Amino acid sequence: MGVTVLQTFPDAFRYGYKEVEKLHTRIAHLGAQPNGVFQVDCDTYYMNQQNSQFNDIPGSGSTVNKKLHILHNTETPASTYAIIESPGKQVTLCADLMFDLLLPRLSHMYTAKKNLKVETKGTRFTVSDFIVKIGSVSMSSGQYKGILVEVEYLACSVPALCWPILREFLQSFMGFCVSSQPPPYLQARFQQVQGPQDTMQQYLEKFNEFRESSAYPVTGSLSASQPGTTSTSTPS
Amino acid sequence: MTDIRLEVASENAISEIHYDGHEVRQPPLSMSEQLSQFARRIDFSAVENGGSDEPGGKTGEDAESMEDDEEEEKPCQQPHWPLESVRNKIRNAHTEICVLHDLLQMVKEKKYLVLDLVQTPQPQPKLYIQFLSLKKSLSNASGILMQGAERIRSSQSSIARPSSDFHLDLLRLRKNWKLKKVAANIVGDLSYSAVGSNFKHNSFFEVTKSDDDVTLTTPLSALPGSSPSIGRSSLRVTVPPELEGSAYIFVCIRKDEEDLCSAQLNMLDGLATLNAQPNMSPSTEHWQQKLENAQNVLFCKELFSQLAREAVALRMDIPPLVVANQIAATIFPGIHLLIALCHSHPDSSRSRSSLTAPHNVLSNGTINELGSSSTTASSNTSTDHHSSSSLGGGVSSLKNLHDKVLEHSLHQLFHSYLKSSSPMPHPVYAPLHAHPTRRVAGPQGLDRQQLMQTVTHETLLEQIIKEAQHNFLRLRTMFVIDQLAKELKDPLIFSHWNLFNSPTQSCVRINIVTQGFDSVIRTTLVVQVFERSLRCVCRDGRVMTLSFEPQELLNLLRCQVAQHQTAAVQSFSKLMGWTVNCSEPCLGVGSAEPLGSASAVVLTSPAGNKQILVRSGPCTGVSVSVAAAPRNDFYPSAVVHERRWDQLPGAWQEVRLDSMEGRNFLAKIELLMAALTAQN
Repeated sequence: MGVTVLQTFPDAFRYGYKEVEKLHTRIAHLGAQPNGVFQVDCDTYYMNQQNSQFNDIPGSGSTVNKKLHILHNTETPASTYAIIESPGKQVTLCADLMFDLLLPRLSHMYTAKKNLKVETKGTRFTVSDFIVKIGSVSMSSGQYKGILVEVEYLACSVPALCWPILREFLQSFMGFCVSSQPPPYLQARFQQVQGPQDTMQQYLEKFNEFRESSAYPVTGSLSASQPGTTSTSTPS
Repeated sequence: MTDIRLEVASENAISEIHYDGHEVRQPPLSMSEQLSQFARRIDFSAVENGGSDEPGGKTGEDAESMEDDEEEEKPCQQPHWPLESVRNKIRNAHTEICVLHDLLQMVKEKKYLVLDLVQTPQPQPKLYIQFLSLKKSLSNASGILMQGAERIRSSQSSIARPSSDFHLDLLRLRKNWKLKKVAANIVGDLSYSAVGSNFKHNSFFEVTKSDDDVTLTTPLSALPGSSPSIGRSSLRVTVPPELEGSAYIFVCIRKDEEDLCSAQLNMLDGLATLNAQPNMSPSTEHWQQKLENAQNVLFCKELFSQLAREAVALRMDIPPLVVANQIAATIFPGIHLLIALCHSHPDSSRSRSSLTAPHNVLSNGTINELGSSSTTASSNTSTDHHSSSSLGGGVSSLKNLHDKVLEHSLHQLFHSYLKSSSPMPHPVYAPLHAHPTRRVAGPQGLDRQQLMQTVTHETLLEQIIKEAQHNFLRLRTMFVIDQLAKELKDPLIFSHWNLFNSPTQSCVRINIVTQGFDSVIRTTLVVQVFERSLRCVCRDGRVMTLSFEPQELLNLLRCQVAQHQTAAVQSFSKLMGWTVNCSEPCLGVGSAEPLGSASAVVLTSPAGNKQILVRSGPCTGVSVSVAAAPRNDFYPSAVVHERRWDQLPGAWQEVRLDSMEGRNFLAKIELLMAALTAQN
């Protein structure tokens, strides 16, 4: 298990497939061999209202819900990742695939939000020690969100030791959208050994960014969100 | 609900039955008759006898009452009137009560009569008997103590000197072997079932008590790891006849008819223990050694049967052959791997020879095995004149053709096979028959490649074949490099083999230097030896994958040597102040090399009037030509300012290098350069 870096490839004009094709040709020039497909999906469950009353923040008037994210990654096909997200804290559980069967039993605690399901799909490439996954992110409704590129460097497990080569590799086919500073998630764990759970937490981070970019098109709009985006999903 | 009354039947007893069947019944009894009938049923004599057991004291009364009884018994039998006996009894009782009352009255007064305890006479104490009993019990106790002391002494002495105590031996036997009692016999088990083996073979031995005359002495030093008191044993073990003798698995890599490398495997420390006592008859063997030998035979048989099973199931281009006790697999064209089970029974003289010369068993004596193999070994070992120190143990182990490295790695393989076949404990909720790693795959997030590794399973024979292939390829690479190093004297070839390597991968670093000029230039390349291929990494970063054919490696090395020569001249020219006019690693002109391509370099002297051309080919070797400018003087004109523009070399003349002085090529070039510079 190497070090994984996730990078959003800007697709301001929402070309989608064209941009992905562009990345494919660029990575092919580096000698990449396509090696199957990959998929990462994320389901989100909200804690039920009656159970989450103790989560009320007095004064703010809003209810802060604990969210439960269930993620699957085709790279680790035997695992299910469950991440409980509460303000300022994340608890990650890595479990068997059987965990999915356990979730209907928890339906009195957590309710699934079907329209919040996010997934990224695409092609997996290998370039000697690197594994590159170029995926397009879409919601469950089929709405296209953006391009997410995952690069994994297999020969090293500590980000501090291999960030320069990773950055150089990322910039070699993605250009200047890659900042020279490592992403905040890696920066917080710069000297630690990375595992599969870290990959999934980065995915969750990126998925949340994608959701937020369209969930509040008017109020919380970032510069990346397009005015023409129609949002059908509203959180709880 | 009505009460049920229990009554006597109201009918009276039948006194008479007439002939006509008429029953005459007795008239019912009157009250007095009934009473007397009941009273007659009372037996006062029983009461009187029971109450008259008072000892003595009333002898007078007794006599009277006896008389009374006699008087009364007669009327009792024929009573005058119904209640006479009853009256008599009651009167007697009354009399007795009156007497007792009077007596008690008198005792109560305490004037005339006093009740006192009756003193019984004490028996005289007999001192003699006491003394006797004391003596007897003391002697009993001393006997017990003496017995215990004797037992301790005997056990002490049995530890000190070789003893022949059956039970002590049995105790020692039980420490190392599984024993159980079946009826009157003691039976042990030799099999590896405790570590997961399920080889169906008769593996039971029997323990009996041996007679004293067969206990002979066995040399103590020859037994590894056996218990300290060895000399005599009162214990005899009987192993199944098919497990007697000694056995080993013989693995050998053979090219045509000569052995390249061999290894012998068994559970014991090696053949040394077997060969140490070749003339010992089985009855003189100590039980520990006998059992170890038998278990070794069992191990070899189990291993061979497993290998034979795998060999039949294995799919290769040339499938392995299993004939009798041999498995033959082709690992390279013309190179065979032979695995044979050698089992020498102590009775047969034929297999006795198999211990000393195991090759004859394999080849059925068709070739002079020892002679040919020794020549192979000598040719292998005599190849290195430069690099014998760097090769170290690898070459020295070739001398006796017995490869300890291969043997060790095979040992590891076989033992790990036994270990892996035993089922590991697993949680009850885990799926059955799953690989142990598969259970933690989910929580640990194993990726696809790691999951695939749990599914693919390599059989033992495949691993052995791979190791044998690597071993052979390593030997051949070593041989090729050493042959070339022996052949080429001019640039020296050093090879450094890595000591740390895996069973299927090793690495050699080859340095090509010129003697005396090793600080000038050094060409380095690294060769990685795998199972069926070699990978060479050259100094300039080129990576070449070679097949197992030795010629490819040889060609590569020759090309490297040729390039080393031109590179050496080139870098040496800098030291001498000569200028490199042009250098070409792949020369396109001149006669074509049969292999690879020649390289050339043209040098100009510092004065500019002499030129040297060095051409180096992998097969043709090095040729040097010299050209000199015809004029020695120079007069600058308006067109030609400097002297060097005026030096037009003449015809090239080849230098006869072999007639020049100098130890090697670079020394000759140095001499040539110095001479040409001095001519100015």
